[in-house]
Amino acid sequence: MATIAVPLGGQEARQEIETVRRPALSEYLRWSVDHKIIGVQYGVTALLFFIVGGALAMGIRLELWTPELDLMVSGAAYNSLFTMHGTIMIFLFIIPMWAAYGNFVVPLQLGAKDMAFPWLNAFAFWLIPPAGVVMLLGYFVSPAEAGWTSYPPLSTLFSGDGQTLWALGAHLLGLSSILGSINFIVTILNMRPPEMTIWRMPLLCWAVLATSIIAVMATPFLAGALTLLLLDRMTGTTFFDAAGGGDVLLWQNIFWFYSHPAVYIMVLPGMGVLSEVLAIHSRKPVFGYRMVGLSSMAIAIVGFTVWAHHMFTSLQPELRIPFMITTMIIAVPTGIKMFSWLGTIWGGKIRFTSAMLFALGFMSMFVIGGITGVMLAALPFDIHVHDTYFVVSHFHFVLFGGSVFAIYAALYHWFPKITGRMMDETLGRIHFVFTYFGFLITFFPMHIVGMLGMPRRVAVYDPAFTDFNRLISFAAFVLGFSTFIVLYNIVRSYFHGPIAGANPWRALTLEWATTSPPPPTNFHEDPIPYEDPYGYGTEAATAYIEAIDMAFDRRDPASAGAD
Amino acid sequence: MESVDLSMTSAIKRAEKQKISDQRAAALRLKNNRLGMNIFQLSWIMAFVALIVVNWQLRFNYSQWPPAGVPPFDLFLPSAATLALLCSSVMVAQALKALRSGFAAAFLVKWRLAIGLGTLFMAIIVYEFLNVSDAAMATQYGNTFRLMTGFHFVHALAILAILCRVYQGARLGKYAGAEQDSWAVEGAAKLWHFVSFAWMLFYAVLYWIR
Amino acid sequence: MANNYGNRPSISPTTIVVAAVFLLVSVVGINWFTTFIPGIFPPQASAESKSVDELFFILMIVGGIVFFLIQGMLLISVIAFRARSGDTSDGPTHHGNMTLEIVWTIIPALVVIFLAVISFDVWNQNSAPKANVNMVNGGSIPINVIGARYAWTHTYETGRQTPDGDAIVINSGANLHTYIGQNVDLTLQTQDVIHSYWVPAMRVKQDLLPGDPLQGGRPTELRFTPIRIEGVEYPAEYPIVCAELCGDGHGRMRGAVIVYEDEAQFLEQFYEPAIHAILNPPADPVLRGELDIQNYICNSCHVLDSLGWTGATGPPLNGIADRAGERVPGQSAEEYIANSIWDSGAFRVPGYDQQMAAFGPNVVDAANVMTPEQLYAIVAYLCTQGEASDCDMENGVTAIPDAIMTVFAMDVDITFGMSDDARMDEAANAEDAEAAAESNAENDSA
Repeated sequence: MATIAVPLGGQEARQEIETVRRPALSEYLRWSVDHKIIGVQYGVTALLFFIVGGALAMGIRLELWTPELDLMVSGAAYNSLFTMHGTIMIFLFIIPMWAAYGNFVVPLQLGAKDMAFPWLNAFAFWLIPPAGVVMLLGYFVSPAEAGWTSYPPLSTLFSGDGQTLWALGAHLLGLSSILGSINFIVTILNMRPPEMTIWRMPLLCWAVLATSIIAVMATPFLAGALTLLLLDRMTGTTFFDAAGGGDVLLWQNIFWFYSHPAVYIMVLPGMGVLSEVLAIHSRKPVFGYRMVGLSSMAIAIVGFTVWAHHMFTSLQPELRIPFMITTMIIAVPTGIKMFSWLGTIWGGKIRFTSAMLFALGFMSMFVIGGITGVMLAALPFDIHVHDTYFVVSHFHFVLFGGSVFAIYAALYHWFPKITGRMMDETLGRIHFVFTYFGFLITFFPMHIVGMLGMPRRVAVYDPAFTDFNRLISFAAFVLGFSTFIVLYNIVRSYFHGPIAGANPWRALTLEWATTSPPPPTNFHEDPIPYEDPYGYGTEAATAYIEAIDMAFDRRDPASAGAD
Repeated sequence: MESVDLSMTSAIKRAEKQKISDQRAAALRLKNNRLGMNIFQLSWIMAFVALIVVNWQLRFNYSQWPPAGVPPFDLFLPSAATLALLCSSVMVAQALKALRSGFAAAFLVKWRLAIGLGTLFMAIIVYEFLNVSDAAMATQYGNTFRLMTGFHFVHALAILAILCRVYQGARLGKYAGAEQDSWAVEGAAKLWHFVSFAWMLFYAVLYWIR
Repeated sequence: MANNYGNRPSISPTTIVVAAVFLLVSVVGINWFTTFIPGIFPPQASAESKSVDELFFILMIVGGIVFFLIQGMLLISVIAFRARSGDTSDGPTHHGNMTLEIVWTIIPALVVIFLAVISFDVWNQNSAPKANVNMVNGGSIPINVIGARYAWTHTYETGRQTPDGDAIVINSGANLHTYIGQNVDLTLQTQDVIHSYWVPAMRVKQDLLPGDPLQGGRPTELRFTPIRIEGVEYPAEYPIVCAELCGDGHGRMRGAVIVYEDEAQFLEQFYEPAIHAILNPPADPVLRGELDIQNYICNSCHVLDSLGWTGATGPPLNGIADRAGERVPGQSAEEYIANSIWDSGAFRVPGYDQQMAAFGPNVVDAANVMTPEQLYAIVAYLCTQGEASDCDMENGVTAIPDAIMTVFAMDVDITFGMSDDARMDEAANAEDAEAAAESNAENDSA
């Protein structure tokens, strides 16, 4: 028999398992330096902003029900809708949501007791609520209405004070993102126990590491761009004003040098989640672990060289070609991940849990976003569909079909660890069906209206596109409705879900080798990671999992029921 | 038999670990702080690089640089300031070295000198900032100059304040020579080196690269 | 111990059948989908559109293969490798396969290189400068597009001159007129923010970038060549839209490309009549004003039912003549209207906080240049917009020039734009008067 290290200090925990011991709710409302509390704070804040951003999206689709301006009082009011929708979803939902999972899960997966800089961690989180409030305050003056990309001179010479608040809010969020990412990098590099070598790290940690490297290197550019925007707006400098020797393309260059990598900030952690969920729920090792981990790094690096493809219709023609080539190359590491995931589930024993359904949904939808991404990189075709609904569709396939599906998968997967209770699987499956088809029917037809000639960001459009837009709006309302299913599920399961036990998914990574939710010190004793984070299907792995179950006196979630 | 052996080995292991964990915690904190500082420096220098990109892109809107009719900036005073800042940075490094070798008094002298040189640098930069010619301010030559020196000044000011705080603490004897006991000094010194490095980039772009 | 450690993935016959069916479906599916490609594009109205659509066709085939491959593998996996009920065992411990990983790195790399090469080829073909652009009557004329919130203006510099020596510039407003086979080469300029000139049927798009007006702005270029579409009746019309967010009325910023069958039809139906209208404007200043006002971008911000304007940024012009006399104390209706056009900052209508663009004889933007004579005609036209006009309609011919004299100290040549006959008459009268004056002077000196 092979050596099986079963190092889990479950003796103390054994007495506690009869009830789920969770921090008091008041813990979440005040300053705390516990990474698990901060993780939940991030998550709940992000969810609240998700609801706000989603409501704005519903407003957009309601306005587009007819080709005329009817719901909103003016085009400018409509512009503020999608401006705030985009900004909130990117800066206040997806990015903080990944910080939530990163905070909660990464130190546990590493076997660390906390993040490297607990105080800094709390500080980075507490920058977010005020930043969100500052942004929303724009509604009391004249809300930002230049799109989330805020191209000058529209955002400088032709916008009201809401634009200034927008820039201030984005500045704070950028700072928060940098501080959070420094913390992640140091934690992942320094806080691992000696047994957790870099090639034993779970792939979520690899993805968070790659994401954080992007965030620390790119976000200062956003800070630079926003500083210039604020100076132009408030002190009368002319960096973006051609009449004063400025240049409007300056903003586009600096902004996209941050904002294109920001796309990978939003989707790479999702890819990390996929590797976890697919392996655990199909009971098979991740296919090509090293390549999956390294491809995250490759995406991070190549991601810095593609920004100008957002400027194909404004850049000097001779500069467009190099960016077309780099943009196409970035499809290769993404393809590696996709094929590796297929290799992971191929031959496995797939359990159709809600988390797994969303992970499979991610693969099925993200591939469309990937294909249209390569199409958009093809310069002559991009010239036609640039700034149309084709692009809107593309980035929703990446950021909703990708990031949000992964966020849902992660929610169903780690909710038991975070709260100690299982989510309702039936509701989860209903949620998946509504989300998957609602999403597909909302966004797929957008490709076609875009190609037919509907530009993005318009409140009034050619009446020829009315039928398409009604279909899209209808599906969008279904998609909007699906959110309430998961919100209900979260609230219900938090109070009444079956007790999860330490390791409901029978996983090998370390976050499952402690109670759910984990104690303030994460582990009762120093944990020893299993030699292979995804080595399912061996006797040793089974023994390890059984040892966890024994240490924490596993109760079968199905028979435990609500207490 | 085998499993008993195993559990004994791991028990011994655990005990050993417990023993060294306290020492390790302090060492780990220092290691984290150092790595965190390095990453912060690497990250935040990108904000300065972004402003250099701004300067470069705006140059292409003019047929020559400085633009026609704008006299180039005088080199003497800024070069003197740069020298002062470099000396200040060296002084900070020397002071840290003195502290590590246990010479607390020498540390205070050198640290004070560093603060003085830093203040001299900033005074000259403020003078230069306020005395940009109207002709230059009518173009991006003056505009980007004020942007870059102003942006740098804000950072230099904040970090100089940190140097002063460290000086205050050092006079009260807060820092000892051991590495673990003087992170505040080391961190402040690293931040000040960052200020110097960022300025060297700006100095080259603003005054030398035409 | 009953376990499956080390088992290879097994595929049942059912799975093979599913896979075969799926393969068939995907081959048929790709084929079937490509038949829809013409339906998801606007008409192919330019030479460029052909090559862009062909490129899309290739992208669609490659994308379709990737799509069906991955979805198919997914489908097979979820069917073949689902855990049967009661099966709590793990899958095989299979960590990867280097050969396979190298293959799926290299093949996609080769595919994207192939796509980059053919895209580059199409791009070269479409962006190559063409000889003989904008040919009209055997000569090449500049065609300019001006984007301003929220309207397009197209101008043709004909190279001809009026008898007075002014250049004849045709302003065709929101519509671009061209003909099949003309190599169109547009020079695009914006007056305010970034706009993007997009003609979906031509598959071309170019941003308009703000530049320093004192240095001639920052013109960008757009090229395309309209081609014949079988079964379409010419002149045919294709929409122009703004693709870059430019503010409140972004969605309303539209126009049309009007393609004529050939140069003869173009000349006959658009070009010559337009020049004729410039050379022979109506004698009535009101009619002249009605034409002139449409040469400016007023429609982008104002409502005026008589001309079908729907802009909402500025105050409505419906019934302007009824209010104009009461707006500013001490200014007559004529003075107020004239003043609001040339000196838009002088009076801000309550409730509207954006200042109107500058118009006048000396403004920087060429499209906004407005001579005193044009102002005269426009004021005369606006004076008719109302039920009981405040303007002095009895003496319109003199009241408005007087007002312009009062406000701007500028003389208006009221013979401006009259038909040649009327101009002759006026000139003859003036000569008579001069001759009379001279003879008077001679008489005096004598």
